[in-house]
Amino acid sequence: MTAHDTIQPNLRFSQVGKSLTRTDAPGKAMGRTPYAGDYVMPGMLHAKVLRADIASARLKRLDVSKARALPGVVCVLTAADMPDRTIATDIPGQTGRDRLKTEQQILIKERVRYFGEPLALIAAESADIAEKARRLIEFELEPIPGVYSPEEALAPGAPVVQGTDNVVSTHKIRKGDTDAGFAEADMIVENTYVTPFQEHAFLEPEAGLAWVDENEVITIRVCTQVIEHFRAVADAIGVPHNKVRIMGAMVGGGFGGKEDVTVETYLAILAQKTRRPVRLEFTREDSFVGHGNRHSMTLKYRTGVKRDGKITALDVQILADAGAYVYLSPYVLLYSAVNAPGPYRVENLNVHARAVATNNMFTSAFRGFGGLQAAAGYEQQMDEVANAISMDRLEFRRRNYLQTGDPISTGFVPPSAIWTEKCADLAWEALGDPTPSEGPVKIGRGIGAFQQSYGRLTFLHDTSEAWVGIEMDGTVTVRSGVTDIGAGQASSLAQIAAEILGVTLPNVTVYNSDSQVTPLAGTTTATRALYMTGNAARLAAEAVRERLAEVAAEKFGVDVAQIGMEFNRVFVTDDSAKGMTIADLVKLAASRGVHRSELAIFRAPFTDVLDPETGQGQAHPDYAYGAHAIEVAVDTETGEVKVLKSVAAHDVGQCINRAAVEGQIHGGVQNGLGYALTEEMLYKEGRLMTPSFSEYLMPTAMDMPPVESIILESRSGLGPFGSKGIGEPSMTPVPPAVANAIADAIGVRVFEMPITPERIWRALEAARG
Amino acid sequence: MYGEFDLTIPKTLQEAVKSLTAGGKRAVPLAGGTNVLVDVRSQRLAPERIVDLGRIGGLRGITVDGGRVTLGPRTTVSDLLASEEIAATAPALVESARVFAGQMVRNTATVAGNIACGSPAADLVPPLLALDAEVTLTGTTGSRTLALCDFYTGYKSDQRAPGELITAIGWPVPAKGSFGSFYKLARRKGDAITVVGVAVGLGLKGGRCVGVRIALGSVAPTPMRARKAEGLLEGEAPVPERIARAALAAAQECSPIDDVRATGEYRRKMVEVLVARLVNNAVQTG
Repeated sequence: MTAHDTIQPNLRFSQVGKSLTRTDAPGKAMGRTPYAGDYVMPGMLHAKVLRADIASARLKRLDVSKARALPGVVCVLTAADMPDRTIATDIPGQTGRDRLKTEQQILIKERVRYFGEPLALIAAESADIAEKARRLIEFELEPIPGVYSPEEALAPGAPVVQGTDNVVSTHKIRKGDTDAGFAEADMIVENTYVTPFQEHAFLEPEAGLAWVDENEVITIRVCTQVIEHFRAVADAIGVPHNKVRIMGAMVGGGFGGKEDVTVETYLAILAQKTRRPVRLEFTREDSFVGHGNRHSMTLKYRTGVKRDGKITALDVQILADAGAYVYLSPYVLLYSAVNAPGPYRVENLNVHARAVATNNMFTSAFRGFGGLQAAAGYEQQMDEVANAISMDRLEFRRRNYLQTGDPISTGFVPPSAIWTEKCADLAWEALGDPTPSEGPVKIGRGIGAFQQSYGRLTFLHDTSEAWVGIEMDGTVTVRSGVTDIGAGQASSLAQIAAEILGVTLPNVTVYNSDSQVTPLAGTTTATRALYMTGNAARLAAEAVRERLAEVAAEKFGVDVAQIGMEFNRVFVTDDSAKGMTIADLVKLAASRGVHRSELAIFRAPFTDVLDPETGQGQAHPDYAYGAHAIEVAVDTETGEVKVLKSVAAHDVGQCINRAAVEGQIHGGVQNGLGYALTEEMLYKEGRLMTPSFSEYLMPTAMDMPPVESIILESRSGLGPFGSKGIGEPSMTPVPPAVANAIADAIGVRVFEMPITPERIWRALEAARG
Repeated sequence: MYGEFDLTIPKTLQEAVKSLTAGGKRAVPLAGGTNVLVDVRSQRLAPERIVDLGRIGGLRGITVDGGRVTLGPRTTVSDLLASEEIAATAPALVESARVFAGQMVRNTATVAGNIACGSPAADLVPPLLALDAEVTLTGTTGSRTLALCDFYTGYKSDQRAPGELITAIGWPVPAKGSFGSFYKLARRKGDAITVVGVAVGLGLKGGRCVGVRIALGSVAPTPMRARKAEGLLEGEAPVPERIARAALAAAQECSPIDDVRATGEYRRKMVEVLVARLVNNAVQTG
């Protein structure tokens, strides 16, 4: 495959690329859209989860007799009731490839490994009774020594969280000759950056409703990014895969936090046991310990550089806190390793990345998926290196940016455009005139450029399906298993089908997110929904269009290439008087027995895993590039930060819905500002000290700057119409841009996020001596 | 999830006081509910009786009469922000109301509730302390009025006898030309618990500071007056060295702790920075 700056320069759209009202917007605006927690059934039970309150302990005693005796309690389950039940904590087995053998006990039998690990499940006639029963359960935990940081976990003789040692995963990338590169350098710059844990903090905590249907199928209505966990749930409860059905609902935010199984297993077990519908909704406190958070990482960067700005060598050592269970840590870490040098040409590269088990909350997927932490490392380091050689920060980057056609760290050449330089220059320029500093309040500016993949790891052999059909009145139905987590995943499919079939968007209805009824589309993760399922919908719609166009061509006596379809009409492109409505065309086609629907599958590139020693090969289908520029005001006496300006510049390939792209960018900025400045998960011996929104502080409307979005469309991506993706990329460059702006303002760097007022004050105190 | 409790909804103050007194230690008055409901849900509070004050007339409102400002106890934070009288007579209180929690909480949280919750971080209390506010307490045997600075007896404890309610908050209208301001240092701008709160009130007479009041939040078991700092400025010319000494004294006389928001060390330093800053602003404005 050769790389292109653009592949489809001359496309003209009637539906795609516009800020059309999304198909999901009216229902949400009017309060008509049901979320998973809104579903109820007659006779349903209410469930609660009892959790351990010590992070590393042995379960000495668990007595549920009082809870079971409480009137209205239908079922109390502990590990004693299902001694061998475990659930896989790894990537969903969508592709049939072997998964890592990582299993977690569903309920604690003996060993507690993290604060909040489930001990018992309760189902009762009301939520109040279930809660009362939860409080009646007596348990005794005997603390045993644990490890609460990767450094502790790696120390000789450290307690082992599980298995034989605490190293969960290691990835290496070796390219060129770093020894020679460092020898050639005029200067070597070495720094260590620390990135924190992060909670997804979606508006909608995990919730679901499960029942056993008339076919003995355990059916679970749940908010999830991955309905294909039905297989893991079936394996966990010991039924065939086709006896578990997961129906999604519109999801109130995912960000990776609903990528792993959350409430599904508990619901399935309770429904199976009681044979009654069961509802379970996590409280906010449950949610904080009910899904894996973002990995805290320590990233040690050592850069060799020439005075002219050429990077001669880069060595990156990454240590990630995987928490108590494996979950997606190996993959998250792989993203960190692959992206360690960022969007820069580094010929002599050595990356060594390790994920280490601790008795902290397990960590897993979160928007950016390890690539974000790497960006916090490489972009802060780029500023530090530029400062060390006294070169302008943007100029230093310009001398090192990857350009279209250049190989990345793994030797792979991304097939699409690499427009980092253009994006960075545009974002920087858009900051405009600098705000003047005043008294102790200093102004600073920062840039963050990035590389972030879209699409899943190519060795997972990812596929996605969609079905498109057209009715005799010219309306269109799309069916696909894709989950909609609020970013317009379903609406995008509608916009793609509308464009191809020549109808307007309100004429398309999407049915999605049902593991037994809609064609399986894979996960809504990894910035893949548009790329994968969008392509499946495109292929299906194109097949239908082709058949309809043949009918029209015959009717009008022209070549198929001359047939246009737009705004609910079909016409001859150079003689538009010749035409009819799409509805009439479909009727005509139907009368001839033409197949008016299509089920299509889209396959990502399939590769092997990367070389285990050198990390060379292909890891992802392709990458997105862009940059973010930030201006801050820092009070040098108190350490308070106010973000004044925020400009995002992204090459999204092609917008499907421009307003939705802007929405993702705004959300990514909020998420990134929180990571850089305010959000902090504090653990004390594994116990979460910030388990609610009074301690865990995301930026509010009062904290948000105006956000400007510069959207470039290279039309070079692998998604439909040359699109790439924006879900993760919108967030990735924000934290380092903020950190660089603060360092620019105050003249010293705070190497650990979140960059709190106190950390800034301490850094300034240290600099003042 | 909210436990079990009796709910009484009295129509008069006397009924409320009686119900609270009869309920004993585990009876809790409910005004805006922005603390009580959160505490009940988290089981920090397990009341046997909740006495809802929402149906009692005449408890909400702002009056300025005879050189005195009086607030009804159920006056909300949003009421303060909407009041021209408060804007004219208590600018520091307006500044604290503006940064108090978030809009929904401001719409329902009450002044008496913020005082009675006893949080060291109660944002309305430092400016009220700086205004020499008094609180009126009403119980079964009648009413009494005491200075707000004498109200707290320790962390989350105060002078109220069982069953007593705060029924008024009042202060003298500050002299013309006096200055008042409040600053909230927090980890974010909206809806945050205060890391350090500082209120300053003072006037200038013949180039000297008079009526100096410095009140601090989140740096001691209760909101507090920094009396040593006040004493160092009272009657003195506000020269930079004097202000710096007073700010340092304020930092020394508070007793902040470490928590998830900040360390005590940082808080103490910020008291010094902010007291100096607010006093300097006052002097420059005057």
